Amino acid sequence: MTRRFFQGLVPFVGILALSAEASAQEIQVTGPLAGAPPVRQLRLHRKGRFELAPVVSFTLLDEYQRTILVGANLNYNITDWLGVGAFGSFGAVQLSTGLSDKIQQTYNTRFDRTGADYQRASEEAGRRLTALNVGDDFKSQLGTINWIFAPQLTLVPFRGKLAIFEKLFVDTDLHFFVGPAVVGLTERAPCGPGTGVDCSARNDSPDGPGTGTVKSKPTESRIAIAPTFGLGLTFFAGRWTSFGLDWRALPFARNTGGFDIRGKGDGERFPDNKVDDKDREFKFNQMISLSFSMFFPRELKSSE
Amino acid sequence: MNQARIGLLVAAALLATPGLAQAQDKPAADEAAPAEGAKGGEEKPTEGGEEGSSICELDPSQCPQIDIKEMAKRPIQAQMYAVQQKYALRVRRFEFNPYYITTVNDQFVSHPGFGLAGNFYFSDVMAVGLNFNFNSFSMFGQNAPNFNRDSEFNAQTRRASRIGVPLTEYDWSTSLNFTYVPMYGKFSGFNYFIFHYDAYVVGGIGLVSNRPIAVIDPDNRSFQSKLHLAPNVGLGLRIFFNRWFAAIFEVRDYIFLDSLENTVIDANKPQDESTWYAKDSTLTNHVQAQIGLSVFLPFSFEYRLPK
Repeated sequence: MTRRFFQGLVPFVGILALSAEASAQEIQVTGPLAGAPPVRQLRLHRKGRFELAPVVSFTLLDEYQRTILVGANLNYNITDWLGVGAFGSFGAVQLSTGLSDKIQQTYNTRFDRTGADYQRASEEAGRRLTALNVGDDFKSQLGTINWIFAPQLTLVPFRGKLAIFEKLFVDTDLHFFVGPAVVGLTERAPCGPGTGVDCSARNDSPDGPGTGTVKSKPTESRIAIAPTFGLGLTFFAGRWTSFGLDWRALPFARNTGGFDIRGKGDGERFPDNKVDDKDREFKFNQMISLSFSMFFPRELKSSE
Repeated sequence: MNQARIGLLVAAALLATPGLAQAQDKPAADEAAPAEGAKGGEEKPTEGGEEGSSICELDPSQCPQIDIKEMAKRPIQAQMYAVQQKYALRVRRFEFNPYYITTVNDQFVSHPGFGLAGNFYFSDVMAVGLNFNFNSFSMFGQNAPNFNRDSEFNAQTRRASRIGVPLTEYDWSTSLNFTYVPMYGKFSGFNYFIFHYDAYVVGGIGLVSNRPIAVIDPDNRSFQSKLHLAPNVGLGLRIFFNRWFAAIFEVRDYIFLDSLENTVIDANKPQDESTWYAKDSTLTNHVQAQIGLSVFLPFSFEYRLPK
């Protein structure tokens, strides 16, 4: 079936890539190499080997907080082009973005009782209107990826080699992976009408009870199930080691800022003074991973 | 009579053409056949081998005396280069590269667009060229396409935290570029076909035209585009479909000092343009991903050395 598929694909690609010379290169119907496989003595870096890889991942396009995840990849490669395994990782470091720092800085200025503008009506309006969304410690209310566990299939359709500076030659593959992911998250806890929790709770101040700084927003953990997929390059540095560079996506909805942004009006596109699951937004949750793989058994075999 | 022979030869040739392709799946059997005919190196040529017979009759010293089976058992010291002749030479060729642009690092405003690059390879690994990016055609009129898109996220954040994030939209950019191709290789796809690729680094210097989107005081502020000097660096991957046609994936970072909207409104002079911009410039990394096609001219080339 696969062979028939590619037999159909080859002429199509050929039509797209019209060139007399290219045809002569790719369709060798005569000569000693006719009918031969593209690669002989292919080093089988994967087939029949376990792969253990410490992985460090960096999230991309984060609005409020970047996460550095540390974990590992464990695979068993059934063939040189198919592996089964799992990716596991936990959020080791959370770094706030410039936007989060600015929100915190603005909050601090707004609630600075010694500030020149503290008594202005517009400042008081700012304190009142943002109390539902921004707590005393903004970073603590941000949505966080705590851990990821993803059983996955790895497909390695492209295998080749790379010449660097025409001196160093590295076996390389381009692989794809797909599977379900279980993601442990922290998000702002539900609050507002019907929950028994006041979203805008404030501390007391000399001006009276409930007129001071905004209480930090409580959070809670939950588990999300999401698909995960991606692709990557593996550079085989030795007979049983390799370096990897992967891009991974984990598309699912979450509330990254802890804000009330939806729930009311046309298409529920306006705030409803509640923080709940309607405030979750679909994110692609992308990350780049760097890994160092070790293959076992260490003995490297070759194809015919 | 001659015509019939010629006709038969043509017919035989036509029949033999597909036959050749099939036979090549079993090269060992095909090669073994004449060896059996030779019977372990006897000087007698095979029956029906007219050419062989003729040679033996004309000059017995030239008659084949090789034991093919024995020859096949010889140890072979074949030396193979890791990557033999480069599939596509670039030296003294022009490359034209139309591409689509998408934003990589701006969560607030996406800047999709189109671009065109041209490079001349003065060596096989180095090129000099120009590229143009168009994110908006607003310079041709207010109704012209503008691909910049303000994310809904901005409005949500402004509403929730009452904080305005200065936003910028891009018109166009251009750059003089130098490209270096340190890496090339090939991939076997599904162990069925081979394609070639290379990876390159690119850097250059050019201009970026952009302007702030009025967010803080849109009632009074309306910004005109400004030019900024912008060096850039990038990485790219080129996958060859044939020797003159390839797909390109590239990530390029345009680095420049941007003039953002002032987040403070001067209540006394809100319409004074000199108060609209932030006092300090902001170092901006405008990272864009490009996907496009690459066409090399001339289409063909000659290798300096035989394979």
